[in-house]
Amino acid sequence: MSLAVMDGADYMRDPRKHHFHPYADNGGTSVAIAGDDFVMIASDTRLTRGFNILSRDQGKVLGLTPKTMMASSGCWADVLTLKKVLNARLTMYSHEHHDVMSTTAVAQLLSTMLYWRRFFPYYVSNILAGIDEEGKGVVYHYDPVGHMEKLAFSATGASVAQIQPLLDNQLGALNMKDVTPPTITKELARQLIHDAFVSAAERDINTGDGILIHTITKDGTTDEKVKLRRD
Amino acid sequence: MEDSGDTHTGFQFSNFARNEKLVSRGFPMPGCRKTGTTIAGVVFKDGVVLGADTRATEGDIVADKNCSKIHYLQPNMYCCGAGTAADLEMTTQLMAGQLELHRLNTGRQVPVIAANSMFKQMLFRYQGHIGAALVLGGVDKYGSHIYSIHPHGSTDRLPYTTMGSGSLAAMTVFEERWQPDMELSEAKQLVRDAIAGGVFNDLGSGSNIDLCIITKDGANMLRPYDVANVKGQRVGKYEYQRGVTEVLTKKVRPIEIVSETVRLITGEDMDTA
Amino acid sequence: MFQVEYAIEAIKLGSTAIGIQTSEGVVLAVEKRITSSLMIPSTIEKIVEIDKHIGCAVSGLVADSRTLVDHARVECANHWFVYNQDMKVESVAQAVSNLAIRFGDSDDDGPAMSRPFGVAMLFAGVDKSGAQLYHMDPSGTFLEFGAKAIGSGSEGAQQSLQEAYHKSMTLDEALKVSLTVLKQVMEEKVSGSNVEVAAVTPDKGFHRYPQKAVEQVIATL
Repeated sequence: MSLAVMDGADYMRDPRKHHFHPYADNGGTSVAIAGDDFVMIASDTRLTRGFNILSRDQGKVLGLTPKTMMASSGCWADVLTLKKVLNARLTMYSHEHHDVMSTTAVAQLLSTMLYWRRFFPYYVSNILAGIDEEGKGVVYHYDPVGHMEKLAFSATGASVAQIQPLLDNQLGALNMKDVTPPTITKELARQLIHDAFVSAAERDINTGDGILIHTITKDGTTDEKVKLRRD
Repeated sequence: MEDSGDTHTGFQFSNFARNEKLVSRGFPMPGCRKTGTTIAGVVFKDGVVLGADTRATEGDIVADKNCSKIHYLQPNMYCCGAGTAADLEMTTQLMAGQLELHRLNTGRQVPVIAANSMFKQMLFRYQGHIGAALVLGGVDKYGSHIYSIHPHGSTDRLPYTTMGSGSLAAMTVFEERWQPDMELSEAKQLVRDAIAGGVFNDLGSGSNIDLCIITKDGANMLRPYDVANVKGQRVGKYEYQRGVTEVLTKKVRPIEIVSETVRLITGEDMDTA
Repeated sequence: MFQVEYAIEAIKLGSTAIGIQTSEGVVLAVEKRITSSLMIPSTIEKIVEIDKHIGCAVSGLVADSRTLVDHARVECANHWFVYNQDMKVESVAQAVSNLAIRFGDSDDDGPAMSRPFGVAMLFAGVDKSGAQLYHMDPSGTFLEFGAKAIGSGSEGAQQSLQEAYHKSMTLDEALKVSLTVLKQVMEEKVSGSNVEVAAVTPDKGFHRYPQKAVEQVIATL
């Protein structure tokens, strides 16, 4: 070994790049499926950092209005901040316009809020689910900088690579010959959400502990809790 | 002459310089499967108990839900492994072979301390490049022994130890409850609980709990000792109708018989020269 | 607040503007004061589009109204950008009102505006709660009306509107009433070139009536 290493103090060595690491990945998986007159949105309840479990009981779905819910996962600090700011914007809207925001308006607002931070984004994957002005179930999917897509079903977060192909095949009837997509009933949506999370928990170490399934209809919302493996 | 690697024993390093160069230019090294793991071992009144979880991971994905992490070395010696799967597999197999040769040469049961020395010498020689972290346990004429062996070759002889990503979770259990001269049933329960600590609180560990009990009468592998996690039950059935996979292109190439020869195979005398 | 009171007095000198709300839509009609035979009447613009679903008639210092109209347009465009929906008529009136009462206070945006805007406005629009008509005066006060007249002839016009207005009025009736009332209060003889007429309906949004169409209605009065 060369003795040159010992010659100078640390600051005299080759220039080195230093990095700022403002983001954490706290895992979390979310799924939403829209039906004709309902929408279901679910998330697992595990929160992680590295190989540690921070919580086994942290749902990731937030109720925004009586007809709109949002599932967020990624950097949990950013999730909390985004939710706080979004709720403030919702309150401001209701004060300014004497009305509850429609699902489509919340969807657009979220997109603009995310894009506003284009060059220092919230490190968050979002799915928005709600009932639109016509009473139909809708799902919106976002990337962290505000790209928005309206869909019938979507998955995001840690286990998206496990779950999205299942939904594409079972609900979208993709990659099959002469198969028409099924009518999405509440029973089918609930079954697929359940089975998708059960399977994801088998193979993805960041997904587990439990599922929280929320159903929104014109009459209101209902919640269901399901257990998952805890290892 | 280029070293083909087949004719020599030991490792082949001809790609090392190339890899260094690639890394320096920003190409990532090909990864290897590392088992996030919880392994542990304790000494009890009549011998040792080794324990391990059964999850093997590749990044965040579970690669094997029921892999075996307690490796055979000798009839009186087993070894739990954490780290790079291939390194563990090869190192323990190599050691099992070396120890067997040693036993045949000396005509005696190999003492655990000998295995410990051989492991540390080999790992030190490779300067930590062999990613093997081990809990070695066995019983010999000198008594019951547990060693922890680190990838760079340092070792400790201890009454109880843990290793792997779940080592802290498991060690909390040992620090709370381990006592000298425990009964077998107590020791089994203690190691199970320690591994369970890793299985449930460390994401790199999971699935079942394997135990291996070694006394002067021999070793007893319990695999699985405890099915700590049952597989989740799906509600739906996911079967596909016949013909849903589309045939995109089809090409039939007939086999033409150009010529035909028939050869009679007759019995031949065995070569007894 | 003498400044505001003076401003309210000032708008009573402005040209008359009328708005009538019906279930089919809202009609706006204003008088154009042709002060010189050399003036080109078509260049007077006292009814403007705020957004495709909202129009606005102004009376008073028209130059002042430009600032408020620009503000209203920006607010509507921003509302569409942020929420992907049409801004409510009431919200537009509120937004304009917020600017109208900003005179006198200086902040980071710059020095204070020295006086109130000398203009009254009628916001006509269609949103999810139907066709609506809002009136705003220089004090920033805004209220919803079934029918409203502003400007110099407003006192008499408002009286006439009160008598003519009823809830089941059609858009065509409203158009005719607005021109009838204008005819009553205008000093000059009403014609196709000295009035400006527009309407906002759910189907067509904001649209102006061509001079020909106005003349046809005037002929029936």
